[in-house]
Amino acid sequence: MSLVSVQHAPAARPIPVPTGWAVAARQLRSVKILFPFIVLVAIWWAIQAAGNFPDRVLVSPQRVFDTMVLLISRGVIAEYVSTSLKIIGIATAISIVVGVPIGFAVGANRYAARSLEGFLRFLQGVSGIAWLPLIIIWFGFTHATTLAVVVYTLIVPIIFNTMIGTRAIPEHYGLALRSLGAGRLRLITDVYLPGALPSIVVGLRLGMGYGWRALIAAEMLVRQGGLGDLIFGARTSGQIDRIIGGMIIIGTLYLLIDRLLVQPIENLTIARWGVLRK
Amino acid sequence: MDAATNAEKIAVSGFRHFFDTEDGPVQATGVVDLKIRAGEFVTLVGPSGCGKTTLLKAMAGFIRPTEGTIHCDGKLVTKPGRERGVVFQELAILPWRTVRRNIGHGLEIAGVPKVEREEKVTRLIDLIGLGGFEDRYPHELSGGMRQRVAVARTWAADPDVILMDEPFAAVDAMTRLTLQEELGRLCVATRKTVFFITHSVDEAVFLGDRVLVMTRRPGTIKAEIDIPRRAAGGRDWESFTTDVEMQGIAERVLKLVRAERGLTPAEEARAAAGAGA
Repeated sequence: MSLVSVQHAPAARPIPVPTGWAVAARQLRSVKILFPFIVLVAIWWAIQAAGNFPDRVLVSPQRVFDTMVLLISRGVIAEYVSTSLKIIGIATAISIVVGVPIGFAVGANRYAARSLEGFLRFLQGVSGIAWLPLIIIWFGFTHATTLAVVVYTLIVPIIFNTMIGTRAIPEHYGLALRSLGAGRLRLITDVYLPGALPSIVVGLRLGMGYGWRALIAAEMLVRQGGLGDLIFGARTSGQIDRIIGGMIIIGTLYLLIDRLLVQPIENLTIARWGVLRK
Repeated sequence: MDAATNAEKIAVSGFRHFFDTEDGPVQATGVVDLKIRAGEFVTLVGPSGCGKTTLLKAMAGFIRPTEGTIHCDGKLVTKPGRERGVVFQELAILPWRTVRRNIGHGLEIAGVPKVEREEKVTRLIDLIGLGGFEDRYPHELSGGMRQRVAVARTWAADPDVILMDEPFAAVDAMTRLTLQEELGRLCVATRKTVFFITHSVDEAVFLGDRVLVMTRRPGTIKAEIDIPRRAAGGRDWESFTTDVEMQGIAERVLKLVRAERGLTPAEEARAAAGAGA
């Protein structure tokens, strides 16, 4: 229902000239987003200061910050980050290219959809990490193993949501187009793809979230680079600052991917399609 | 086209259809034999659930008849084709396409060059009175306007035969009268072969060159009534409602429809109310 309000959104509204108050309000909003983080760091600082823990148990936020600056400036982080981003990027591309057509095929066939729904839910239950022992036996401790786990995790929500989206398209759309002479390819480009797009994007966003977590977990066990490797490797040498710094980067990167990449795509499709689909 | 005016366009012979359900096959229609000449406007009126839509879907090629055959221009119908356009009761234009892109969709599929396509679409948009709405999306239009777009989309693709399944049933009563008049004019102007399903007696008599009456399920065609030729400019409701001859025909058809036992009171009321239902 809230989609309806998007209908008359940005373009029509006059753009307000930012006044002093507006700027202050915007700053207040960004503080609001940062507020929980500030509280968390403050608690951490307080515990660390009060407990006087040895460095092997807990270090101060300052220390983590310094380590992060050092690792970033030496390019160490960049290398781990690029390994992780490369894998999630490739996994996303594979999952879309393979998952969306499967979702269409399953969604367009009522019987296939009904019989596969339970199976897909079962697969969702057997997490990517549960596959890891088997995949390590098959592919060894390689990037291929990590990639396989991430694709598996990412592709199921994409297939599932594409299927749901396809099934929600009224039957008449396809019938009308077929009587206009449309072939299979036309039906996909003109009916299934635009019709299921909002649902596909929801699946993509969910999948990216699950996939990112699976990626970090797989990297910790496969140990071939990536942020999971960074924090798990630091454990053996007891480098608490590296572990916490790595965790901060993992969370921040996901936030950036989601907010700057996936969410805008979702908003765009829902803002446009949500209204159009009615 | 004119040379073929009296030629047989559609031939349904020995048609009978069963639906497969979990409780076994259910008979959707009785045996139907039907011939439609080129350029003829045939309306089929019958109670809800009598199998009208099943027959139309088979003619469109969406379903294979359990028994019998359907030929269009002497060719056996086995799948949908662009020579047989369909207008549905439900909204079937695509919500993510503008009016212009919806109407031009059939031409786009046929690979008609853009310039030619735009020209044809613009002409149709003017004809159906949607000028100024070319770049609007369906959700920005009224129900009547949407159904005009659906009709125009089918006409734009220039099929030989147009199959219409209660296309105006979901439109408000006043708009419906206008749409019926417009459709009448459009058909006179383009000489298409039309097969039109309705459960409104007045609509069937107003639009048709020939009215077929179907029995309740499993439906067969129990009567057919020829309607006097329309004036060159099509009909309008004012003269239709004051025309004694036409009203006499409408009454006859109504009696035939009401004689179908198994009508619910609601259906009877709907049939009796006719176009204003």
